[in-house]
Parts: sequence; structure tokens; C-alpha cells
Amino acid sequence: MSVTAVDLPVAVRRSRLRRFLRRFPMSARLAALLLLAYILIALTGPLWAPYDPFQAGTGLPYSGASSSHLFGTDILGRDVFSRVVYGTRDVLYLALMSTFVATVIGGLIGLASGLVGGWVDELLMRLFETIISIPLLVLALLAIAAAGPKASGSALLLMGVVVLVYAPRIARMARSVAVDLVTRDFVTVARARGESVRSIVWRELTPNAAGVLLVEFGVRAGYAPILISSLGFLGFGARPPSPEWGLMISENRAALVTAPLTVLAPSAALAVLVISLNLVTDGIARALGRSAERTP
Amino acid sequence: MILRLIAQRLVLAVGTLLVVSVLVFFFTSVLPGDIAERVLGRESSAQQRQIFRQHLHLDDPVWKRYGVWIGDVARGDLGRSLVNNETVTATIGSSAKNTLFLSVFALVLYFPVTLILATLAALFKGKLPDSLISVVTLVGLSVPEFVLGTLLIFGFAVQLSVAPALSIVNPGDSLFTRLHATVLPAVTLMVAMAVYAIRMLRDNLIDVLDSEYVRMATLKGVPRWRVVARHALPNAVGPALNVTALNLTYLIGGVVVVESVFSYPGLGKMLVDSISVRDVPVVEATALLASAVYIIANLVADVFAMVLNPRLRTA
Amino acid sequence: MQRLSPSPEQEPLVRVEGLTIDFWSNDRWNNVVNDASFSLARGEALGLVGESGCGKTTTALSLLGFQRPGSRIRSGSIHFGGRDLARLSRRELQKVRGRRVSLVPQNPTTALSPGLRIGDQLVEAMSVHGVGSSGGERRRRVRELIAHVRLPDPERTAQKYPHQLSGGQQQRIVIAMALACEPELIVLDEPTTGLDVTTQAQILDLLRRLRAELGMAMVYVTHNLGVVAAVCDRVGVMYAGELVEDAPVRELFSHPRHPYTRGLIAAVPSIAAPHRSRDIVLRGLLKRNDLPKGCRFAPRCDFAEGACFEERQVLQPVGEAHEVACRRVDDVGRLTAERISASSYVPLAAAADDSLLDVADLSITYDRRRRFALASRERLVIVRDVTFDLRARETFSLVGESGSGKSTIVRTVGGLLRPLSGRLTFEGRDLAATVESRTKEVRREIQLVLQNPDASLNPRQRVHQIVGRPLELFFGLHGKDRRAGVEKALEDVQLDTAFASRYPDELSGGERQRIAIARALAAKPRLMLCDEILSALDVSVQTSIVELLRELQAEQGIAYLFISHDLAVVRSLSHRVGVLYLGELCEVGTAEEVYAPPYHPYTHMLLSAVPEIDGESVISPAVHSDPGVSSSRPASACPFADRCPWKVGPICDEVDPPWQARSDGHMLRCHIPLDELSRRAAESTVRVGSLSAGDGPAA
Repeated sequence: MSVTAVDLPVAVRRSRLRRFLRRFPMSARLAALLLLAYILIALTGPLWAPYDPFQAGTGLPYSGASSSHLFGTDILGRDVFSRVVYGTRDVLYLALMSTFVATVIGGLIGLASGLVGGWVDELLMRLFETIISIPLLVLALLAIAAAGPKASGSALLLMGVVVLVYAPRIARMARSVAVDLVTRDFVTVARARGESVRSIVWRELTPNAAGVLLVEFGVRAGYAPILISSLGFLGFGARPPSPEWGLMISENRAALVTAPLTVLAPSAALAVLVISLNLVTDGIARALGRSAERTP
Repeated sequence: MILRLIAQRLVLAVGTLLVVSVLVFFFTSVLPGDIAERVLGRESSAQQRQIFRQHLHLDDPVWKRYGVWIGDVARGDLGRSLVNNETVTATIGSSAKNTLFLSVFALVLYFPVTLILATLAALFKGKLPDSLISVVTLVGLSVPEFVLGTLLIFGFAVQLSVAPALSIVNPGDSLFTRLHATVLPAVTLMVAMAVYAIRMLRDNLIDVLDSEYVRMATLKGVPRWRVVARHALPNAVGPALNVTALNLTYLIGGVVVVESVFSYPGLGKMLVDSISVRDVPVVEATALLASAVYIIANLVADVFAMVLNPRLRTA
Repeated sequence: MQRLSPSPEQEPLVRVEGLTIDFWSNDRWNNVVNDASFSLARGEALGLVGESGCGKTTTALSLLGFQRPGSRIRSGSIHFGGRDLARLSRRELQKVRGRRVSLVPQNPTTALSPGLRIGDQLVEAMSVHGVGSSGGERRRRVRELIAHVRLPDPERTAQKYPHQLSGGQQQRIVIAMALACEPELIVLDEPTTGLDVTTQAQILDLLRRLRAELGMAMVYVTHNLGVVAAVCDRVGVMYAGELVEDAPVRELFSHPRHPYTRGLIAAVPSIAAPHRSRDIVLRGLLKRNDLPKGCRFAPRCDFAEGACFEERQVLQPVGEAHEVACRRVDDVGRLTAERISASSYVPLAAAADDSLLDVADLSITYDRRRRFALASRERLVIVRDVTFDLRARETFSLVGESGSGKSTIVRTVGGLLRPLSGRLTFEGRDLAATVESRTKEVRREIQLVLQNPDASLNPRQRVHQIVGRPLELFFGLHGKDRRAGVEKALEDVQLDTAFASRYPDELSGGERQRIAIARALAAKPRLMLCDEILSALDVSVQTSIVELLRELQAEQGIAYLFISHDLAVVRSLSHRVGVLYLGELCEVGTAEEVYAPPYHPYTHMLLSAVPEIDGESVISPAVHSDPGVSSSRPASACPFADRCPWKVGPICDEVDPPWQARSDGHMLRCHIPLDELSRRAAESTVRVGSLSAGDGPAA
């Protein structure tokens, strides 16, 4: 009887990671460096920012860029550069954290729902579809309004809103992945072994859904800063005097002509952050052999 | 068979709308802050507030209030604004018209742009046009609408002075005046939708172009243009409608932001304002209307896709 | 079958020279076809055979000038009617495709445009080439074509959409489309894959007739040697992208010269001679990363010498129109005759007498729920009143075509589907319907192995996790003990223990299927449910797995409930067989009994539809006129009544056919009395059981 030969070199296995890295496009690598820079700024900003972002009157209001104020001053004479730096902390933390929580909650619920099927699945998906039927921003506004004036501006509220808006969408995606995986034979065999739902979700489904969920996380994390800053702009997000970028843009809009930097600096910071997030997400998707679907 | 499917879809849409109404009501009924105090003012007496509350049935159990409200809505009675005591219908009437105008304008711009760019990207997959479009759309979806709108104001209104910075429209304005006043917000909205739609449609088109039957037609000797026209495009219409319906969520959300940026007197601005002053009936009505538009648009797109699908037509 | 010998004066229709094609994948160029050269005369039918990945499809498609995106023709030329297809512009290619050379693709369902009517697609095939002088004439020709491929009611068929036709009907339409412009060459890419064996037989018959009438040349790509024997004049055998042998059909099957060809032919299971001992075994695996500079088959060749690894082998003539790419071709014949045949035959272990699994009156339905409908729930009966028993250490096979319910039965036994009625008994005790209600012991003793090796292993788990899970779950083993159990299981399926740390995508299809078996074995089951476990594997791999299963049965005393549509494999593996049609058992008995007359009419139809390598393949009239499976369950008492060529009369529709026992254990369900069935079997032109001579290809 023939015994099959054995000689696949070890290099085959290690090359998985190398293959992933090799497929990571250049644009995404640069974007990743930018992201890293943002993270560093967020972490270390308070140590080296030239001014206290809340301190008014550090210079004449709406003075332009100068050696002491890189981006000039805003309507209250606060240093724009420092405010942008401090704003990085808020937006990064909020965006990433809330998206992460939404992905974990939505992902697990979606996977379990897709596996179990039946009326539980139907019910959950109807519920999620209904929440998704309320246009994103409208739902966010409703939720914030429902929380009341006292809670307004709190980070926890904003996180909760993002989770509320995202979790159903992520759950829907996770469920469709699960539904597809469930038809695969290795899940059938696991069911025939009598494995519990929890065991199947954890052992069989999650590792296979990880790639999709990672990309989904990236896509949502890329939109989260936009959502948060839009709320800030409308006056429903962070409250003054917080150095939140959307709020800053809204506050200084009137001076767009006279002191454009007060609006352009946070705009650029926001745009570059989101572009970087999106490029990295697309890069990860490409390296995993998928495309990043931006389903609303 | 297809009629049954359409009917099912219709029932589903109505059901979703009902549940949405429950959600909307739940959120707004939870709105804290004593409504009576807000409306009547701080100086009002407790008794006045009590009469007010009774008048609006504010002390009834939630489910009963919901029943009354939804029954009224079904009859077309959206209640009265707490701020100016006019009917909600009257209050949001002209705003709704303005938003409709703006949205249609944006959609009219959106369709050709999306179709052309998505088709170009799909036909030249992997080559320069595709990469260029990919980069542009990526940047576009990374920039929030309020930033884009503000930049457009800076560029076209302030520097170039070709369009107004504030999009104020009055009922008597001519069409041209209106168009001129709303061109910047319309472009902003168009971009907000198109950047997502172009990407999604491009992917759908590529799927169709890569499908086996398209390949087979090519191997039959059918010339390229005919392959695209007869075999590919008809199967892309459904996805195109589907993509548009899905991305309406960005249009609706965008309307809220863009109307604030440009101070345009539409539903979006009305929603923001009424939330600030806790004008509950207006908030409910506007939120419900926004959801209804989205649900109906998706219903229409689904039905269209069903009708276009020969499998469902003939079975 | 006439063979047109390409006379030297007559220019061949197709001349491929030195064709070398690469694909871009895994971030580099991988060679797929290497220096292939062959020619085809007008009207000649060439079969391209080989196992998966050998490059046959790529080679055949290049005859249409088709280059898959991400592929390149590194060198070589494809001369068709005097022009090199590799050098033509897209516009020039468009004129050739469909007009002078056309394609019958593998999957007709995806090849037809879903939104266009059949008639329109057929008309298009002509109008783009300017064939036919007017629309009216084209439509007339369309009706002719549809009739030509033996589809009924051409007018109505032309109005239909593709999804309204069955798979077999779609394939006929695609053939009609290929014939529309009366091309000189038709390329067929495994056109009968996925079709039932009876449908396949009809398509093959159709192709033979069409060739006889129209005389076009054909290139037929397939992995099934029996099909090649039925249809082609000449055969080209490919291995790892190279043509290794090129010979006329009869010559190839009676005197194969290349070691790979010999191994391949020997690996094909035969219905007529299921247990012949094999002198020639294809050992090892194709390792694409590790091909030698010289002969690509050398690592697996019994006759390889040092020089074989170094020197590239080219096709050399060894007989009339017979070419082989092997430097040792003369030695091969001589040495094989001298070698002590290392018989690889493992006899079928004797089954026990005690019944392990008892299935009584099993009926399974599928409730099609209508959403929002309060009333009717459509109940589809998939399996009706099936009764059989399976003994310990025995292999009981259920054969049938699509829709027979065999997979459904297996899943019900496995506890994944709840039956409507019936009793299942395992080891003397009642078997609960669902997995959840079964004890852990019972779950352990019944194990499931499924069809698709790609899908049955979790791509994110390493082999030791996959195989180790049952050990954890059923025996509570961890750590060292678990590791030892995994190694033992791997040894049992003859894989090196180093495989334990691999991921499934590092393994071949056959290796993955072995892992799936190892996973089942790890639980030490008494019964293994095998649902089409060989269908997705290459022929040579199938044979080795069959032998593995037989060994395991002998060593460990496992019983198998084996599901398959492949009659030859079933014959070689089973003690007893049950034939299913549309959810009902028609015939049950030992393998010898079922495969020999008297046959149930359906059994007879099945057996006569299988193309075999030896003997004249004449399709029996029964298969020829078979209308095919109707999509809905017939209302008749005997499910086979509407297709049965020996139908007695209305009694078949109205009265349930009785079980007739020919011997203890062999039973048929038919109204026709047994001796009448025997008589009919004898007078039909079925080759099965009437083989001329020999148990296999002569050395």
C-alpha cells in the first residue's frame, strides 16, 4: 500500500503571514503609518501640545498662523493646533472603542442567529432590519434626544449611539456569513457530533468569520469619526468647550473667510484620519483576498 | 406567483414601518424634561401644567398613547406642533416641499454620474480609469458632508461667488432662482450618495461581466458591445436600483447635515430644530416620514428587481 | 466507429505546436500547459483525458483562442484552418468563435443568459455571424436545431427561458447553439459532469449521432475514460500539463504504453470485474511545487531512472498513430510482464450476521413553509416507506440518481433530519430521531463523512484540532493522550503523523478526505455514514480510498452505509446494495445479485447507461427513449412508471408493485414477474455481465 509522501517544507506554513503582508498594498502601508502617527499624537499629545486647549485668550481671537500658534487661534483666542491635537484623543478613542464593542456584540449575535435559524433568527433579523430602516443619522439623533439634555455630550452616550446604530448592521453581515458557513460540511459534521451551539459558534464559525468581521470592523470604524463629528457639528455630540473637531468646525464657520485655518485644520485632520482608516481597511481586505463592502 | 411575492414584500414593508413607528414613539416618548414646563414656560403654575398634560393625554400609559398616535397618523392627523400650535402637517408642509426639491435635484445629478463612473470603472477594471475612480470615491466617502459643504461654500460662494453661501428659498422664487440657490447643497448630497453607490455598482457590474453566460456569449462570437448591451446590462438594472435604494440612507442623513450647513429651510433643519426644543409631535412625524421614504424606496426597488427577474416572472 | 486517419497530404484542421500556458496565482506564474503538441484531422474526435489540474481544459479552450484573465501563452502556436489563434486580434477571434469552432461548456445552466429566451439566444448565435438570410429563416433554423437535439415541441421550447428547462435539456440547447453555424470543430468541456448517468448516456448518444450526420471534428475534455471510449476516435492523455500519450481509442485501452496511462486505466473501477487484482498501481501524488526538470511523472513512476528526472520527454511514435512520451517505453512493457505483480487487492471482509442498523418504513418529508400563508403547507415527500437493514462489519450501499433521497436517508440516520414516520433501530435499541436526543455513546458510534473534501474540514483548524475534537468530546482526552490518539488515527488512514500540524489548504483532495475519515475513525464508531465521499476525487485517488475503507473494515470491524451514484465504485465496495428511485427502494440484495439479472427495470436502465472501457458501448434503447426524471413526484403507485420501458399498463400507475423475493435477501419491487424480467434482461443489449475477455488491460 502506498504511503503518501510527506515532504511539504515548513516554509509553506510560515508563508501564510508573509503572504498576507506581501499582499498588503503600498497605499495601505503608508496609511497605516499615518494611523500610527495619529495614535501616537492621541497618546502623547497632552505632553507636548503648546497650549491648554480650553484656555481662552492665549492670543488674539482669529489671529492667523504664526510661530506661536501654528494654526492660529479661534473665536475665543484658544490655540487651534492644541485643540486639534487634543481632539485626536477623543475621536480616536470614541470611534475605535465603540466600533469594537459594536462588532463584538453584533458579530456574536449575528453568528448565533444564523446558526440557530428558525423563528429566533427570523425574529432577530426582523428587529435588526427595522432598526436599519431608520436612516442612520436620524436614529442617532433620536437616541440622543431620548437621552435628554443632562446626558448630552457624554462620551458614554455617544458610544452607546454608535453601538446602537452599528450593532444591527454588523449582526446582519455576521448572520449572512453564518448562514453561508452553516451549509458547509464541516459544520454539518460538528452538528452530527452533537456539539452545542456555543461550541459551534466559537470553534467552527468565529475563526472563519474573523476575516469578514475584521473588514467589517474596519469599514465601520472608518465611518465612525464622520458620524461622531457630524453629531458634534449639529450640536448633538460633544458639548463646548470640548475640542471635538465637528464642534470646532461648527463654531468657527462664520469666520471661514477671515480665519480659514480654524475650519480647515480640523477638517483636514478629520479627512486624513478617515482616509487612512479606509485605506488600511481596503488594504486588509485585499490582503485577505476579499473586497471591503460598504453596505450602508 | 410573482403577485404573491410582491404582496409578501408589501406586507413586510408595512410591518416594518409599524415597528419603526413603535421605535420612534418609544424614543420620543422617553424624551425627558417636562414638556408642559417647556411649552408653557417656567412661570406656569402646576395646575396649568396639569391641565396641559391631561389635554395631551401625557399621563396615559405608553401603549395607549401610541395607539392614539398611530391611529391619528393613519388618518392623516399628525398632531399639533408644541411650539407654534399649528398642525404638524402645515408646519412641515413647506419644509417637506423644499427637501423634496433638493433631493430630486441631487438625484437628477446623481444618476448619470453614478451610472457613467461605475460603468467606466467596471469596463476598465484594474486599469487607470478604475484606479482613478477608486481613489476619488475613497476620498469622497472619507470627507463628511458638512466638511464638503463648507469647503464648497468656501470655494464657490466666497472665492468665486458663483453660488450663494446660504441657500434661502422663498415660496415665490422662480425655478432658476431655486436651482441657483440649491446647487451647492445638491452637489454635496449627490457626492454623499454617489461615492458609495459608484463602488457598489461597480462591484455588481463586474460580477455580471465576469459571469459565465457573458463569457459564453463572447465565446459564441458575439461582439463586445452587444455582449454588454444584451447580456450584461439588463442584469445590472436590478442591482443598480437596489444600490440606489440602499444608499438613500446617506441621502436622508445627508439632508439633515447639509440643510444645517446651508441653512436651507427643509425637513432636515426642521428635525434638528424640533429636537432642540423638544417639539415632540414634529420630531415623531419627521422621523417617521424619513423612515417611510427609505422603506418605500427599498420596496419599490425590490419589486422592480422581482419584475425584471425572468425566473420570478414566469414561474 | 470510423476513424479517419489523417493522411499526410490532407492538411489537419487543427495543429497545436509547443503550446505552453502559465497562470498567475499566488503571486507568481505557474505553468499549466507545457509544450503540448497534437493535431486533429477534419471530422476526427479527440478525447483529452487526465486528472484534475492536468491542463486539459486550458488546452481545449485555447482552441477557441480563449485566454483566462491572468493567463499567458508563453510560447507555441495554435493553428486552426491555417491561422494561428494565439496571434489573432480580438475582432478576428470573434469572427472565428461560434462560426468555425464552438464550445459546449461544462455547466449549461450558467452558460445560458438568464434574461433571454432560448430562441433568441440561438438566433443570436447565427445572426452575429451573418448566417441565415433573414430573421424568419433563422427562426426556422432554430426550430430545426432544437428538433435535431431531440427536444420536443421546438416552437414552445424556443419561447422558454433557460431556468424553465432541466439540466439535461439545457445541455442539449447548448449543444444546439454550438451547432448553429455548422462549425468545423466543437470543443466540449466535460459536458456531462453533474448530469445523471442516464442523462449522460443520452447526451453521449446524441453526440455520436450528430457526428455521424454532420461530420464535424470534436475535442472532448473529460476525466472519465468510459466516456472517451464511447465517443472518441483518438485519445490524448495529459499529466501535469504535458501530453504523455496519444493513440487511437481502441489501441489506447488495449495497449496503453505510458506508465501513467496504464495506472490510470487500471484505477478505473469496472462493474463487470469489480474485484480484479491490480498489477499496476498509481502511487503517490502530484506535487506541483516539486516537479523535476525532466519527466513530470518520474516521482511516481515505478520505472523511473536517474535520467528520467533530468531529460524532458517528448512524444515519440511507438506504433501506427500511437505516440508516447517516455524514454523507457520499450522497457515498460517487458518489465511489467516480468514483475511479480504486487497485488493490491484487498478482499472484502466477511460481514457479521447480527443486524446493526434497522431502518423500517422510513418516510421523510420536506415541509415547504409558505410565509404568511395560514393555510396550506406544501409537503414534499422525499423518501417513502424505505426498509432495509445493515449488519455489523458490512457495507450496505444505496445507489440512485439525483432526487432519489439517498442523501436524505443518510442525514436522517445521522440524526440531522427528523423523519415523518418509521422506526430506526440501532444495536437493538430505538434510535432517537435527532442528534440532540441521542446519548453521547450513540452519537459516538455513528459517524458521518461527507462528499466535499474542500468543505468538510474547517479551513481555520489544523489537522490535529480537526481529528482531535472527537477524542476530546467522546473520550475526554487531552494533551499527550489526545496527541497520541490523533497520530494513531492518521496512521490508520496511512498519512504521516507530520500532517497533524498542517492546515487543510496545504493538503490535496485525497488527503483531505482521508483526514475526514480519520476524524470519523477517532471516535471508534461501529457505523460510518459515507455520503458520496468519492465523487469529488480523481479516479486514482478514489481507488486508493476504496482500498483504505476495505482495510479499515477488515481491521476495525466498521460497518458502512455508503451512498453513491457511481455504480462501479459501489460494486467494488459493497456487500449489499439497495437501489433507490425517487425516494423508494426498487431492489435490494447482495452486490452480485443486484448487478446480475433479473434486474428491476430501473436497475437495468442504470446499468446500461454506464459507459465502460471494454466492450462495445451500445446504448440500450431503454435509455435512449427515456424522457427523464420529471420534476414533480408522479402520482403513480410505482414511482418509475412514467419512465419504465417495460411498463405493463395502468396497473403500474394504480397499484403498488409487490415485493418479489428471488432468494433470501434479494428482493425486487415490480409487477412484472421475475422470470419475465430475466428474459428481458437477456434479450437486451446490455453489456454488463457479458464481457468478452480479460479482467483488465493486458500488460
